[in-house]
Amino acid sequence: MNRLKGQIVAIDHSSHMSLVDVAVGGDIFTATLLETPESADYLRVGSSVTLLFKETEVSLAKSLSGLISLRNRIAVAIRSIERGDILSAVELDYRGNTLKSVITTRAVERLQLTAGDQVEALIKANEIALMAGHHDH
Amino acid sequence: MIQVNVSKQLHGVNGEFQLDVSLEIAQGEFIALFGSSGVGKTTLLRCLAGLEQAEQGNIVVNGEVWLDSDARINLPPQQRHTGYMFQDYALFPNMTVRGNLEFALRKGADKKRVNELLELMDIGALQHRKPDTLSGGQKQRVALARALASEPSLLLLDEPFSALDAEIRARLHDEVLRLQRHFSITTILVSHDVSEVCKLANRVMVMEAGRIVQQGNPIDVFSAGQTSGKFRFTGEILAIEPMDIMFSLTVLVGNQIVRVVTMPDEAARLRLGERVMLVSKAFNPMVLKLGG
Repeated sequence: MNRLKGQIVAIDHSSHMSLVDVAVGGDIFTATLLETPESADYLRVGSSVTLLFKETEVSLAKSLSGLISLRNRIAVAIRSIERGDILSAVELDYRGNTLKSVITTRAVERLQLTAGDQVEALIKANEIALMAGHHDH
Repeated sequence: MIQVNVSKQLHGVNGEFQLDVSLEIAQGEFIALFGSSGVGKTTLLRCLAGLEQAEQGNIVVNGEVWLDSDARINLPPQQRHTGYMFQDYALFPNMTVRGNLEFALRKGADKKRVNELLELMDIGALQHRKPDTLSGGQKQRVALARALASEPSLLLLDEPFSALDAEIRARLHDEVLRLQRHFSITTILVSHDVSEVCKLANRVMVMEAGRIVQQGNPIDVFSAGQTSGKFRFTGEILAIEPMDIMFSLTVLVGNQIVRVVTMPDEAARLRLGERVMLVSKAFNPMVLKLGG
């Protein structure tokens, strides 16, 4: 599980859903939640939260251009790649934090990814969960 | 309305501690006492039933004083009319099913209540059998019917389902709920099973070392401080196997076996038999209609 610590900076909500903006370093991550400030006490601007998202939900892009609906795009550097038969685990450096992306080995080859590459990591807003407080495990 | 205020010195495995509980229960409520073994849950039930005496305190049930240690009032168990159901059935082995129920009736009560309970619990066909010829699930249905025979103002359930397999347990849960609503009887269940508590109780009281440390709606109490993923199951790890660069976990959730994929570093922190929570965002699960 990828974990990033951040602070809630904005909450946009309807009666049952919220779009929560979380500042991590200088980036803003957005998570869609089926919770609202009324149903969850920790949903407050300024609250410390941990962003959680699974490695398999992190896509990688190289020199991506054009428009994309996806909200969470962050610049990362590839530290290492572990190739499996079908899947590969790509370890990423994001502002000193370690993130992992699991993509197909086919995609690693097609993008010609190698250690040291600067790429973009992409995570859909509804794949990010929030946990109140800062947790390492 | 039931008002309870009791304290009693207890001898736990980790030394002495004080049972010290104050609670108020509205008529018809279904309360669960939740906590690990040896925190005083059963002692509290036994104090309510009059099987054990609290050193200090009072118990008032619908205006009737069952215990008032200052006024030296302490009604014996048979005058309290609680329905008590234990894990080990505790049926009288020398009596038939019907005999067990009749024995529990109040003095002078109409025997029609026995027929009503036999019918409600669907155990009429077993009425002339002795307990040792019954299965565990059947015994527990009889025990539940017997607990209700005395028209109790309070039903006390002390982990009555923990020895039963999952399917029979689920059926008995439904029975208990149905009867609890039918008679609108105030009920206190001792349990350390989260799903059982969520299914049955409208309020849970979490006990630690003789005290109630938290209470509220079960879902709220058990989900407090957890992730915002709304979709979660607890299960037991049956297998941990490498799968390409990842690991596959086989997890028993309820009576279903599911497989989930995890990273090697997470798999390394898990042990076989350990309980885990599987969490998914509410957006992920695809929904397929069954049948039709």
